[in-house]
Amino acid sequence: MAEAETHDVAHRDDPGAIPEAGLLGRAVNALGGAFALAILLSAAILIVEVVLRYGFNRPTIWGHETVIFLTAITFLFGGLYVASRDRHIRVVLVYDALGPRARRITDVALSVVNALACLVFALASWQVAEAAMFTPSGEFRFDTTGSAWNPPTPGIIKLFLFVVMVLLTVQFARLAWGYARGPRA
Amino acid sequence: MIEVLTAGGEGILHALSALIPDFKSWGIEWATAAMFAMLMLLLLTGMPLAFVTLLVALIFLLGWFGPAGISLIGSRIFSFVNSFVFVSVPMFVLMAAILDRSGIARDLFDAMRMVGGRLRGGIAIQTLIVAVVLAAMSGIIGGEVVLLGVIALPQMLRLGYDRRLAIGVCCAGGALGTMVPPSIVLIIYGLSANVSIGELFTASFLPGLMLAGFYIAYVLVRAYANHDLAPIPEAGSIPREERLRLLRGIFLPVLVVIFVLGSIYGGIASVTEASAVGVLGVTLSTMIRREFSWGLLMGAAKQTLATVGMIVWIGIGATALVGVFNLMGGLRFVQALITGISENPTVIILFMMLVLFVLGMFLDWVGIALLTVPIFVPIVKDLGYDPIWFGVLFAMNMQVSFLSPPFGPAAFYLKSVAPPDISLGEIFRSLLPFIGLQILAVAVLVAFPGITEVLR
Repeated sequence: MAEAETHDVAHRDDPGAIPEAGLLGRAVNALGGAFALAILLSAAILIVEVVLRYGFNRPTIWGHETVIFLTAITFLFGGLYVASRDRHIRVVLVYDALGPRARRITDVALSVVNALACLVFALASWQVAEAAMFTPSGEFRFDTTGSAWNPPTPGIIKLFLFVVMVLLTVQFARLAWGYARGPRA
Repeated sequence: MIEVLTAGGEGILHALSALIPDFKSWGIEWATAAMFAMLMLLLLTGMPLAFVTLLVALIFLLGWFGPAGISLIGSRIFSFVNSFVFVSVPMFVLMAAILDRSGIARDLFDAMRMVGGRLRGGIAIQTLIVAVVLAAMSGIIGGEVVLLGVIALPQMLRLGYDRRLAIGVCCAGGALGTMVPPSIVLIIYGLSANVSIGELFTASFLPGLMLAGFYIAYVLVRAYANHDLAPIPEAGSIPREERLRLLRGIFLPVLVVIFVLGSIYGGIASVTEASAVGVLGVTLSTMIRREFSWGLLMGAAKQTLATVGMIVWIGIGATALVGVFNLMGGLRFVQALITGISENPTVIILFMMLVLFVLGMFLDWVGIALLTVPIFVPIVKDLGYDPIWFGVLFAMNMQVSFLSPPFGPAAFYLKSVAPPDISLGEIFRSLLPFIGLQILAVAVLVAFPGITEVLR
């Protein structure tokens, strides 16, 4: 069973950001703790909601919308978190057959393409974010859910999508630079 | 400042769309072909699936509609992440992550010794029963395959079980997590096909047990046909006090399963609420077992963040691509192509199964679900079939994709914990009979759709 125990320990180790992700990658991973907490908080709110609804027949007006908001920003941040760890799912059929030099070139090229895709996407999501933050006359107001509680969470999520896309662009640019520079101590 | 940003952004988008060919003038046939080729080429370079689909969506949006349509993708992604049902995905992942970190599965396995007993192939059957209970507690496969690989595989190998049988049981059993409800595959299917997830769960219960039953029958047949494959373990009955102690290992997991599935099937709570109840259940179990710590909980939550980050971003890319393709009229075009292949509806269903099977060898299931369901489900409905039944069929197909080479994830998960002398090639060879059983289960579901209706 010794082998099993070592695995259990290894399984619990947090690999963290890859070195090529740089300072931004480390920062994103440190911030990951806050979003992990948001997941736990969502679970707690849902449980409280279940108890209040089915136990006391007194559902809250804020429970569902808060949980949706917390998970939506967690989903969006998750993409950045996974990018800094280089854990996005990809098809490695060809990649695995390459030599170290060709792999490095591929890593750089793919990071550049990813950065460009995210940049264009950031521009696209800015339009959505802008529409969610300003009235046509230019006044500032966040989109709201339109429910009884009516929080401005849709506007915040749309702005956060833009922020994540900008950070993803920077992260992939940093990864391209990190791969190009090669491994260093 | 804001105006400058907006105007600058629009300027860049205009410049970009001038660079991209006008796909509209190509017609939908060639545009679809170009899109497919671009997807394949980019995927083969090793670019992450999520960003491949996002990039192709952007290129075709700009090329077909010009920069004016660009906000479409952002709005689609917003509605994708802003959904209450989707909240159940991180909850079920969190539940599985806590389960992985506790000794619940190990105690369950020990307790199941009483079931396996001195039956030939008993440990393999014990493993499969544990797999079903674990599957009913979580909806993902990675953790389960790893757990079985750590707990059950060494024991079977030690007792002289046939290696391939032991490997196959661990991988196939671990993959059951996405067939037995609550399953994340079914949640994603339900979201994109716009059908009730509760009904999907009810419908998939029997087929899930059926598949597990096939595995058990296979183990028994092999074990009794060739006594070398599964030696009978040490004789002697388990003392009474030991039995009581072991029984406790079953109690907590079964209670959690009853809580989660009971509240869904009983119609008491929504799937999302039930998922949170499940999280509470496993957390309380770790407390009762004195395993609970803040570190355990945070570790599980961080693993959940990484897992949903992967799943959701594949979904974000796929939802963007499908949105653009739909506006181009591509969905209708491909649907016409598929329905045109035969007059016989069964042939069309079988063709769709074949597409899923081939995609399953290369793509991740989330990508497959979100890319194919918007195309397939309208066809299924037009042909007069039940989309719930098709969802169960879809989940069964994904079972195959988890085991099938060259990228069956179950094999890779097992490889990560198996003794080093077990090669990936041997794992895949061991899985072949189990893939055969899965295909048999798909065939049974196609031939007897009523299996999904018994409990509804």
